[in-house]
Amino acid sequence: MMKKKEGKEKKKAIQKHKASFFRFLKQIKKEFKLLWTDKFNILLALVLPPAIILLIAFTATASSEINPVDCIVISYDSNSFINPNNLTESFEANYTLPYVQAVNQSIYLNPIEPESLFYNASEEIYAMDKARDYLKAGIISIIIVLPIDFSEMLFLGMPGMIECIVDGSNMLKIQDNLNAVLDSVKIFTSENNLTPQFVFQEIEVLSIPSNFNSAFNSIVVFILPLFSFGLAMVLTILVVVKEKPIARLLLTPVQRFEILLSKYVTYSTILSIQTALIIGTSLFQGLYCVGNLLDLFIAMFMLGFTGVGLGLFVSCFSKTKTEANQFFFMFFIVIIVLSGLFIPIDAMPLYLRIFAWILPLSHANPMIMGILTKGNSVFGFDFYWLVGIGTFLFISSFIIFQRKQYEA
Amino acid sequence: MNSDKDIVFIDDLNVKFGKKRVVKNVSLSVKPGEIIGVFGISGAGKTTMIRVLTCQINKKHWTGNVKITGISPEKKKNHPKILSKIGYVPQLEELNLYYDFKPVANIDTFASTYGVPVKKAKKIAENLFTILDIPEDTWKKKLAKMSGGEKKRVSMALGLIHQPDILFLDEPTTGVDAYKRYSILSYLKKLNRELGTTMFIISHDMECSLVCDKAAIMRNGELLEFGKPVDLIASLPSNGTIATFTIEGISKKKIELIKEFKPVVNIIRAGNDVIEILIDNYEKNISKLIEFMLEKKIKINEMSRETATFRRYFQIRVQREEEKERTK
Repeated sequence: MMKKKEGKEKKKAIQKHKASFFRFLKQIKKEFKLLWTDKFNILLALVLPPAIILLIAFTATASSEINPVDCIVISYDSNSFINPNNLTESFEANYTLPYVQAVNQSIYLNPIEPESLFYNASEEIYAMDKARDYLKAGIISIIIVLPIDFSEMLFLGMPGMIECIVDGSNMLKIQDNLNAVLDSVKIFTSENNLTPQFVFQEIEVLSIPSNFNSAFNSIVVFILPLFSFGLAMVLTILVVVKEKPIARLLLTPVQRFEILLSKYVTYSTILSIQTALIIGTSLFQGLYCVGNLLDLFIAMFMLGFTGVGLGLFVSCFSKTKTEANQFFFMFFIVIIVLSGLFIPIDAMPLYLRIFAWILPLSHANPMIMGILTKGNSVFGFDFYWLVGIGTFLFISSFIIFQRKQYEA
Repeated sequence: MNSDKDIVFIDDLNVKFGKKRVVKNVSLSVKPGEIIGVFGISGAGKTTMIRVLTCQINKKHWTGNVKITGISPEKKKNHPKILSKIGYVPQLEELNLYYDFKPVANIDTFASTYGVPVKKAKKIAENLFTILDIPEDTWKKKLAKMSGGEKKRVSMALGLIHQPDILFLDEPTTGVDAYKRYSILSYLKKLNRELGTTMFIISHDMECSLVCDKAAIMRNGELLEFGKPVDLIASLPSNGTIATFTIEGISKKKIELIKEFKPVVNIIRAGNDVIEILIDNYEKNISKLIEFMLEKKIKINEMSRETATFRRYFQIRVQREEEKERTK
């Protein structure tokens, strides 16, 4: 008798779960339908990100066409060396002029005219002041300085050193300027048979190789986290607050968690497609990724998921669409400003630093940059922090939605 | 009252939010298949009472014995059972319908929440759309492109898609013109007749009483009356026969003078120069009333005999209650 009763109850429970699952699937269907009817959202989610990546690539390609960097070479080279055998000074080594010739030959450097590109600092004592004035005025972008022992070091078979003073006002061009100087050094070493003394690492550690579009890669590294997080938030910020028939849905046997969970599933699916599209388009346009692509996907998805979580969280506690939009701006601007993208987190006051470290983008940037430029694994502290934030937002949004007052 | 046979049973319902009592000692019962109208001005407590019946108010706010289709909304675990047996049509269609969906998609969304299979839902919807005269060519039209009347009817169909025992309608005729109002009411009657669904209409539009089997009048959270509209009207003096007078230069003073005639029960101002007088024993006293008015030099321009409508009954009943309160 007892067994029969237990069996009946078990059957009832299974039926209840089955019904709940059926309703949940139908809610997902409804969410996709709602998304489909809002063509602007589809555009925003799936068309806009690859389109912007393509646009960045297009503009970056246009800007990466050979555009010689205006420069000045100042030499402090003494053109002498101390003979180690008899400790006498000799003047046999002169590597300054061959280097200046190499600068002339490089298609990436443009020694300015009509002023002489080359200043011998021992003859022109104000050479550096003059060059700095040019740099400030934007006439040149780089000052190449040959130090006093330039020839001596090379003559003695030791590594030669060149100093560069770069116009740092445009961060995106610093890499291009340095690559241009590198080109002159390559010509110089090969023409003067100095290659053994200059060991070039073609894939420079933490920098973008010359065969990749550095401008595109520099921008994309900044853009990818912003895209994942920002778009996920934009897509979900109004999802709950604008759906008025929820009030009526709650007068049916459908459970609140089924409604919210279906939104999470739908927008996470869209997020996966969006992430794949963004990575695919970026790779197609020459994204330089040292790390594993799957790691990059997981990192971007996790960041996007925190965006979905924050969007739904705000949408759940907002009473009106206007309120949700205001909260969106407030959250998004604070998160971006404190992300470390514009102001280094270490340069912030302690209280802001603590606040910044709680926010998702401050962890996403080093994580994604680490994967792209250092080949780091996704599974590190930053990733687990994002998982924590995502989980917190996920649970919080459910609690708020459960308590949200609806009146049909 | 029999809590087992009645489809809705309310005994001594009290609803309190903080210190404010919103519903006070309400008791009523409804038989299956009846159309009940709940009338009252704003703040009367009618919506709150319905919200208790539709499991929208937490038990901590209300006391009393309430049963809907024999199930009490007291326990949360009973809510899904109750909700699967009731339908609800909100006042605003935007709360009920996904405007970007076609009616069929709306039906699919809501039917699935009750576990109604797609094919069955489609069949029920077709039947409802036919009863409600929703033309077949609009079934595949987006709701956003439909007229207000069409939306209202789709909303009603949605409320009935799972073939509920009771349908609650919140202000179904508010904001629609006179012609549409009658057409909505006739559709409700048609649905009730053909499907046998019990209906609860919450309204402050007294025209709804035309289709109601019983009417409940609420004021300040109290249930003043509950019965058949005809019986309620007949309960008025002289079976609800009213004398309508057009009087030149009517004033408060003149009304007070007329009230001095003892058989006068109520005087209602129905227009600038028009008053409606309810008197005991109309046949016997009407000529005496006219003589009395002439004696008091009240000039009568026109006079007619009418039977009170439910609107008048409501007005008289509420007025009587207000006077009672004033004399307290």
